[in-house]
Amino acid sequence: MSVAEREPATEGTAIVPASGSRRNLIPRRLRNPWGEPRFLVAGTWIYIAWALVPVVIAILFSFNAGRSRSVWQGFSIKWWWGDPNLSIFHDSDYTHALVHSLLLAGLDMVIATPLGVLLALGLTRWRGRGSGVANSLMLIPLVTPEIVMAVSLLVVFTQLALVPFSLIHLGTTAQVVGQVTFSLSYVVIIVRSRLAGIGGQYEEAARDLGATPIQALRLVLIPLLLPAILASMLIVFALSIDDFVVTQYMSSNSTTTTIPMYLYSNARGGTSTPALNALATILVVVTLVGVTVAYLLYTIVGKRTGSAGTGASALRELSGIEAA
Amino acid sequence: MAGEVELRGLCKRFDDAVAVDNIDALIHAGEFFSLLGPSGCGKTTTLRMIAGFERPTSGEILLDGVDVAQTPPHRRNVHTVFQNYALFPHLNVFDNVAFGLRRRKVARDEVTRRVNEAIELVELGGLAARRPQQLSGGQQQRVALARALVLRPALLLLDEPLGALDAKIRKQLRLELKALQEEVGITFVFVTHDQEEALSMSDRVAVMSNGKIEQVGTPATVYEDPGTVFVADFLGVSNLMDAEAGADPGSPDQCAVTIGDFTLRAACGDTSARGAVKVVARPERIQLLAHGSERDNCLPGMVERTVYVGATLQVMVRLVTGAQLQASVTNTGSADGFDSGAPVSVHVPADALRVLGAEAPPEVDPEAAAPDEDAAAAEPSQAAGKP
Repeated sequence: MSVAEREPATEGTAIVPASGSRRNLIPRRLRNPWGEPRFLVAGTWIYIAWALVPVVIAILFSFNAGRSRSVWQGFSIKWWWGDPNLSIFHDSDYTHALVHSLLLAGLDMVIATPLGVLLALGLTRWRGRGSGVANSLMLIPLVTPEIVMAVSLLVVFTQLALVPFSLIHLGTTAQVVGQVTFSLSYVVIIVRSRLAGIGGQYEEAARDLGATPIQALRLVLIPLLLPAILASMLIVFALSIDDFVVTQYMSSNSTTTTIPMYLYSNARGGTSTPALNALATILVVVTLVGVTVAYLLYTIVGKRTGSAGTGASALRELSGIEAA
Repeated sequence: MAGEVELRGLCKRFDDAVAVDNIDALIHAGEFFSLLGPSGCGKTTTLRMIAGFERPTSGEILLDGVDVAQTPPHRRNVHTVFQNYALFPHLNVFDNVAFGLRRRKVARDEVTRRVNEAIELVELGGLAARRPQQLSGGQQQRVALARALVLRPALLLLDEPLGALDAKIRKQLRLELKALQEEVGITFVFVTHDQEEALSMSDRVAVMSNGKIEQVGTPATVYEDPGTVFVADFLGVSNLMDAEAGADPGSPDQCAVTIGDFTLRAACGDTSARGAVKVVARPERIQLLAHGSERDNCLPGMVERTVYVGATLQVMVRLVTGAQLQASVTNTGSADGFDSGAPVSVHVPADALRVLGAEAPPEVDPEAAAPDEDAAAAEPSQAAGKP
């Protein structure tokens, strides 16, 4: 069918009435192709509310005067502080879980971040045979189901009579090793995307001006990588605080219980009280404080190094995980 | 004077690709020496080997007589101005310039004094506390220069240092850079793909292609007296034509070249060549006369296209032989007679018609023997881009 044959037909019948009726669906005053995308904006806000309201409710109920976690019985801080039998800060199980969570997160951060930076530097410089494969394999821990990693690590640490695996005993050591194992990939990816952005020229310039390879790293590359290093630390901290599966499998006894483990084992039990909500609130607050500190540091460091201006670029840095 | 560089049999291979193929060159102390060529010709790799960023596959790099080919970059008294300057973004101008001195453990007072001197030298006084990203491209370029010059290198390497600047600043910095080089007396090795840049600043130019040096000479030599078809073609619009060379009975210094049905006299280049040759004439030496003008060394043709460049008009003329020539005509305010389709008489003076011997190696021929349309289509736009 030629264009000439088709055109009059469509013009006369199909298009004009169809577009006319579609126009009537949306009132004229709401129609503005240059205006805000109202429906998208509304959708975004609905999602934000959907995701945040339960958290806010949980936080509110940590201040409930009664035992209920669903019926509001007045305001009280007794689940937090003041009652020797009920308050989380008076219960050694709660406080121990909190301390252990923070300990694991701290160790994970301190170990995984420098290791990840070194691996990223190595992978960036390694050209030639095997580098492409290694680069792809680095991504596998990101996509491996956590439960698979947890079970494998458990088997390796408990069954294998082979150094170094046999040296790792369940408990804090195994938990740290497990968390470092899966959080390392995130560090590598964040730092590598930053390294790719920096390129080789600054390091070459430093070498050209008389810096040894170590000096070039210390005086030029590390300062330029600082935003990525901070972002990595934050990610590792958040991953660790939040982790349940690996931490649970690597635990030994009640002394290695973390907040997520405690919440999981008690949330559905009959003994649960708003103290659990308080514990969950602490988890939220700790994470938020971590994000805020990292964001502020990032902005300050970014201004100082001139490499990344505002906090907005911190988010971009973090989203490098998706980009990579 | 220190700063003499000699390259001996220098080669660089990347996997299977040969980037630099056995080049020899002697760069005199205090000279402004350019490596000129198209991208991928090996000029940047050569520079990076002199700087120490690339390790030569074979060959020697003699810096004042000492082979430094296996010396890491931080132990060479050679400094580089990078294409995008590579100023450290986390340091201000002062600290950028002081970086090299501090690595050499120069005393604090002396660092301050020398850095300030260097900043004054490149006329950036008052901007020492600024960050690189607060400076314009031209200012950043000066900081990069100061950062390298403050170390009093024997040799300064410049990798397309003007490439990232806009046309007007580029022209201005060209003059300043040359003046600066004369003032400090340091050997400059300058890498560029811009022939105008290379010709206007250099004491000598090495034209590179496919990892080899095609010709080394003063700007006037490589432009006026190109040794190969590649050099003639790369340095400006060269109007290459196939011709048949024969003896000129009238004078022994000249030869007769036959282009199609026409015989012209050529007085430059390899006038002793006989048989199939290439002849070349620079567009600014070609004159366009009214159709039917009776003169020696004229070829009839037809104006195909006139490109307005500003100071000149680039007139593309199709000869009756089928070849296309470009003539550069001074803009006198009227483009009369250069309308498309107008017949003209193309006058190529004997002393502007250069014979390139047929001994030109066949592997550079693809460049030279490209269809005339391609060459002509590429050149005017390039010329128009450089007002």
